[in-house]
Amino acid sequence: MEFTDASKTYGSVRALSGLSVRLEAGETVALLGPNGAGKSTTLDLLLGLRTPDPGGTVRLFGTTPRQAVTDGRVGAVLQSGGLMEGVRVRELVALGCSLHPRGYPPEQVLATAGLTEIADRRVDKLSGGQAQRVRFALATAGASDLLVLDEPTTGMDVASRQTFWAAMRDQAAAGRTVLFATHYLEEADEVADRVLVLHRGQLLADGSAAEIKAMAGARRIAFTLDAVPDGRLETALRGLPGLTRVQLAGSSVRMRSEDPDATVHALYGLGLYPRDLEVAGLGLEQAFLTLTDRAEAQDGPDAAPSGHARPAPSARPAHEKANV
Amino acid sequence: MKHLVKLEILRALRNKKFMFFSVIYPPLLYLLIAGRNADAVLPGLDVSMSLYYMVAMAAFGAMTAVVLGNSERIAKERELGWVRQLRLTALPGRGYVGAKVASAATLSLPSIVLVLLTGAGVMGVRLDAWQWVALALCSWAGSFVFAALGVAIGYLATGDAVRPIAMLVYFALAFGGGLLMPSVVMPDWVQHIGDWLPTHAYTALGRAVERGQAPHAGDVGLLAGYLVLFAGAAAWLYRKDTRTT
Repeated sequence: MEFTDASKTYGSVRALSGLSVRLEAGETVALLGPNGAGKSTTLDLLLGLRTPDPGGTVRLFGTTPRQAVTDGRVGAVLQSGGLMEGVRVRELVALGCSLHPRGYPPEQVLATAGLTEIADRRVDKLSGGQAQRVRFALATAGASDLLVLDEPTTGMDVASRQTFWAAMRDQAAAGRTVLFATHYLEEADEVADRVLVLHRGQLLADGSAAEIKAMAGARRIAFTLDAVPDGRLETALRGLPGLTRVQLAGSSVRMRSEDPDATVHALYGLGLYPRDLEVAGLGLEQAFLTLTDRAEAQDGPDAAPSGHARPAPSARPAHEKANV
Repeated sequence: MKHLVKLEILRALRNKKFMFFSVIYPPLLYLLIAGRNADAVLPGLDVSMSLYYMVAMAAFGAMTAVVLGNSERIAKERELGWVRQLRLTALPGRGYVGAKVASAATLSLPSIVLVLLTGAGVMGVRLDAWQWVALALCSWAGSFVFAALGVAIGYLATGDAVRPIAMLVYFALAFGGGLLMPSVVMPDWVQHIGDWLPTHAYTALGRAVERGQAPHAGDVGLLAGYLVLFAGAAAWLYRKDTRTT
């Protein structure tokens, strides 16, 4: 599947500008980006739910997205996709199987999606996670070549999320190409062969999770001081070489540096004795933030300056932080 | 698509409120309006109350099932995103509209049959065998026009707006077409408009059969025109909807 210079403008808003990317068969690809980066627009174009602005093209399996969908080559779970009400899970999944040109037996699809036990339940009486599994079942109701998933694990608890990704890996192992958009960077890190980072409608990075981390370049430095630093010491800490970001919380300090050796050397030069010193490579999440920050800084006057203090990294969805 | 039609029907049959209104309520209304003086002939009409209202209520019941039921369900399904999900299956665009029209028309059949049975069994209407069959067929075939209208309204309006709009269209068509009271009792200008409404042509089919005639070509033509108009509007609105949501 291939995007060639695909743009999409809504009124005066350019949601996607000149995206060119090609996915190879059998890849598992994660699409990362803060809210408003163009993820959903990208998936909509790929599935033929929207058409790109004149000049750009989107081709799927050598044909138009709509034709590929009609041929049953694509299965998709969208955030905005709803379910038919007033029917049972089994009936809805059977419908999905019968609509697919190469549909699987419904019982098999139910079992794969972990729905056998709730197959006789009414669709409108399901929890969020169960409904999401039904959507997954509809997307895998037949022998499609490409699976497209928009935030597939939203609303699932940790256990069902793991079950879900196990099922997903089986799909990929069976030779399917999988493209998923996610806020959970650890999912992209663990599952994807390839990560696409979108930012403000542009492709910011394209590579394996390891490559993306390397692109960000920076390393993380963390240590604890004997006492809470006073104003003078804080200025000195912020002035250490190579830093892109400093964050102070009481006596504990977290930094990000593009030259950790120089930073640590200068740190000792201040006459300090840092305890619990840690120097580590960035996780995908931090790498992602570094990349989007860098793009913000290059992009516009409203972009945040680098090196300012910001909240500690946590397991919150990326967009909440990436938009700070 | 056959599976989708089957599921749509199954789902509507499970909806007891909907079944009550579309199936039980037209024969009840028929009994209430025409039950007391079945043989009376209304001024300006050449048929008895029982005959006039049998056709009118068969049409009214069919219209309830297909206009109100269809429009609300479609508007809701658009909101829920089910229509969007269906767009991601191999079902062609016209398949969804077709399935909606077909399943709605299937649901209009029981209310039509029940009104006719009430006419024969309770109201003492006597017609030839061919007339009964022709009446049922005309009432049923005509309901497709309104099923398409229901689909169009479902795509035109969203959320809270769909019920008032559907109700307005439904009652305007029912009154204007003389379904609830003969149009001869209404002012001239209403009658003039009424003559061009699909509901008027719809009941005119059945009334011609009751008089032992074949349905008039003019009425059939008018209904066919409306069917093309409504189905065209439904298809256009469907395409527009899937482009923008």
